[in-house]
Amino acid sequence: MSYTAEAFQNEYLALGASEVNAIVTVTSTGGEGGRRTGGATEIIIVDASGSMQAEGRIAAARQAAKAAVECIDDGVHFAIIAGVSTAQQLFPAPGELAVSSAQSRAQAAVAIDRLQANGGTAMGAWLLLAAQLFEQRPGDIKHAILLTDGDNGERQGYLETVLERIKESFVCDCRGVGANWKVAELRKIADKMLGTVDIVAKPAELAESFQQMITAAMGKTSADVQLKVWTPVNASVRFVKQVEPLVADLTGKRAEDGPRAGRYPLGSWGQESRDYHICVDVPAGASGDEMLAARVHVMEGDTEHARCLVRAVWTDDTALSTKINRQVAHYTGQAELADAIQAGIAARESGDDRTATIKFGRAAQLAHASGNKATEELLAKVVDIEDPVTGTVRLKRKVAAEDEMALDTRSTKTVRVGWGQ
Amino acid sequence: MIVTECTSCDEERAAGASFCEACGRKLAEPASEVELPAAKKDCVRCGAAGSVGDDGYCEECGMMAGRSRDHLEADGGPSGAAVSDRGRRHHRNEDAMWLAVGVEAADVVVCDGVSASFDPDAASDIAVRAAGELLAGARHPDEPAGEEGDPDGTADLEGLERPAGAAGLAGAVSHAIAGAAAAVASLAHTGDPRRAAANPACTIIAAAIRGPHVGYGWVGDSRIYWLGPEGPAEQLTEDDSWATHVIAMGVDPVTAMNDPKAHAITAWLGADAGPVAPRVRSFTASEPGHLILCSDGLWNYLPDAADFGSVVRDCLETANSLLGATRALVAYANAAGGADNITVALIPVRPAEPTTTELA
Repeated sequence: MSYTAEAFQNEYLALGASEVNAIVTVTSTGGEGGRRTGGATEIIIVDASGSMQAEGRIAAARQAAKAAVECIDDGVHFAIIAGVSTAQQLFPAPGELAVSSAQSRAQAAVAIDRLQANGGTAMGAWLLLAAQLFEQRPGDIKHAILLTDGDNGERQGYLETVLERIKESFVCDCRGVGANWKVAELRKIADKMLGTVDIVAKPAELAESFQQMITAAMGKTSADVQLKVWTPVNASVRFVKQVEPLVADLTGKRAEDGPRAGRYPLGSWGQESRDYHICVDVPAGASGDEMLAARVHVMEGDTEHARCLVRAVWTDDTALSTKINRQVAHYTGQAELADAIQAGIAARESGDDRTATIKFGRAAQLAHASGNKATEELLAKVVDIEDPVTGTVRLKRKVAAEDEMALDTRSTKTVRVGWGQ
Repeated sequence: MIVTECTSCDEERAAGASFCEACGRKLAEPASEVELPAAKKDCVRCGAAGSVGDDGYCEECGMMAGRSRDHLEADGGPSGAAVSDRGRRHHRNEDAMWLAVGVEAADVVVCDGVSASFDPDAASDIAVRAAGELLAGARHPDEPAGEEGDPDGTADLEGLERPAGAAGLAGAVSHAIAGAAAAVASLAHTGDPRRAAANPACTIIAAAIRGPHVGYGWVGDSRIYWLGPEGPAEQLTEDDSWATHVIAMGVDPVTAMNDPKAHAITAWLGADAGPVAPRVRSFTASEPGHLILCSDGLWNYLPDAADFGSVVRDCLETANSLLGATRALVAYANAAGGADNITVALIPVRPAEPTTTELA
């Protein structure tokens, strides 16, 4: 397993400037021949509340769960949880994990066929049971899928308490089927569990979505990778954000590591590349001074896989200090794009059409300029884009709930620099 | 900066000599080769003890603890001294220097990286090494090495065994600059696309001094001056610059020097420079004086040759060593603003004994 870390920045700062920005690209080659060297555990949580009977969702969920189980590699531990008002383990026996083999997968398929939709929605309890099962396998690459179609029915604050307890202990990808679930709720879970959130509008698309998630999870070769950021005395990290493939703010997830360093969890890694935007406030230097604003390490436990330096050089040569780094500018725009979409959706929901139009207009402009075609297409289902260059849009009078939820969940999807040019 | 034992033959150095008595190789090493001590250094910025990490930054305050090229000194005792400094405005030192000294003998090279090119510091560094090594490879004229060569015999420079007087020294300097030009041009082909797009480039001035004989040459706008016992300094080089070019065509010097293009150089070392034709000259001193080699970081503040001469003279009189005087000249440029990297070399030259005939 080998990693590289590379910083992209304009290290030259104008005199008096104290904000240092850099994009750090972390790339991993994956394990030897893409194989895991350690163990892995997979847990599939399927909502079996009464509402799942609608539109044939429960039948589609059964198909999806079976398709997912088929994708689990031999030797991987796994379990299936049926989500009702409490968490019930559907397979294998309660409190146990199965070891994947042709036989155990066939047994799981039989168990899945018994899944019936009748009960409530208790996401906190489901996740807590998953966390307890995962505890049996310390050191494993831990991944869960959570499928739901509605609001959480637990008392206010319970889910948050559970998430605070189990955060970052496994990666959980959340999927909502239909349009009666809350994006904000699943986003909260995905954010704490370092996973993704997405809408599966049609039940028929569930199987494909599950297969994709399991295949991606099986490709992970490191369980718990972290970004360690060292900063000098009197400097502070303003933010650390993942900006590619998805925007995710990691600033609040910092765990102190020594007097001047903190670690930010990056979750599990396979053969992939992700970009991070790091912003550090430093005391301004004199002309000609060169400061190390941050030393960024890619860590797995005590092992350092890669490192790179974020520098600051003060100069009175404005030709140098005013040059804008392309990566930093691009990802600043992508993060603003996600914010603009989410603010636009919130404004629309609260009936503030004026703000919504401004926000969606800005989003259309940013998506177009950066070449983020996927987001531009999703936006076009919610607003009529009259001129993407100036950001002139008109709110559509009738918007399908699924389209708005798709825009919301996928607003954080970014593109790499240069795709628009 | 100056080694005390010959790295070529391990013979111990004779007192005062800087060329090895045994093999004739130079004893001085290029200043930029100086290695940092292995022990962790204290931070010069925040004072934290032993806090400078392997990457050169303080583990406490984060400040760069000083690059080896920020301030370099070469002390050749009574035979010469050179100082290179980052100045006060540039973030790194793109000048480089080479000084090798012997008894009344010295080889000096000063290069100034062209800031508009990529990695100009690499250009100046490789140029001084290449030129310095070629100068050192040329034989010392006082060394008995067969018959005196033809003073005009510059055709076979590869086989140049001993430069004959000042003219021979000029030939060695020409050969050294040509070697430096090839070395700098090669930097564009290291595989780095940025180097290929804006190839590293630099100016060069080089001088070889053997007794009263001086051979020197240049490409670009770094300068060599001669300062005799009295009167203004004499600029020996003619800048390869836009200003010099138009002044030669009759434009008012003040107007020309105030033009934004004044410092645009018309010749340099680099892959895009085409065939480099260094201008080389020689002379034999008839009165004692000093040779001053400097980058534009110094002469920009002293464009007038009379002012230049009086400042150098002040520095020589006030300081108690050549190195002290050289440091004082660098300090002068820094006090005046230090807008560019500053490199200065000072070499005393004594006239020939009355019996010596002039060769140049």
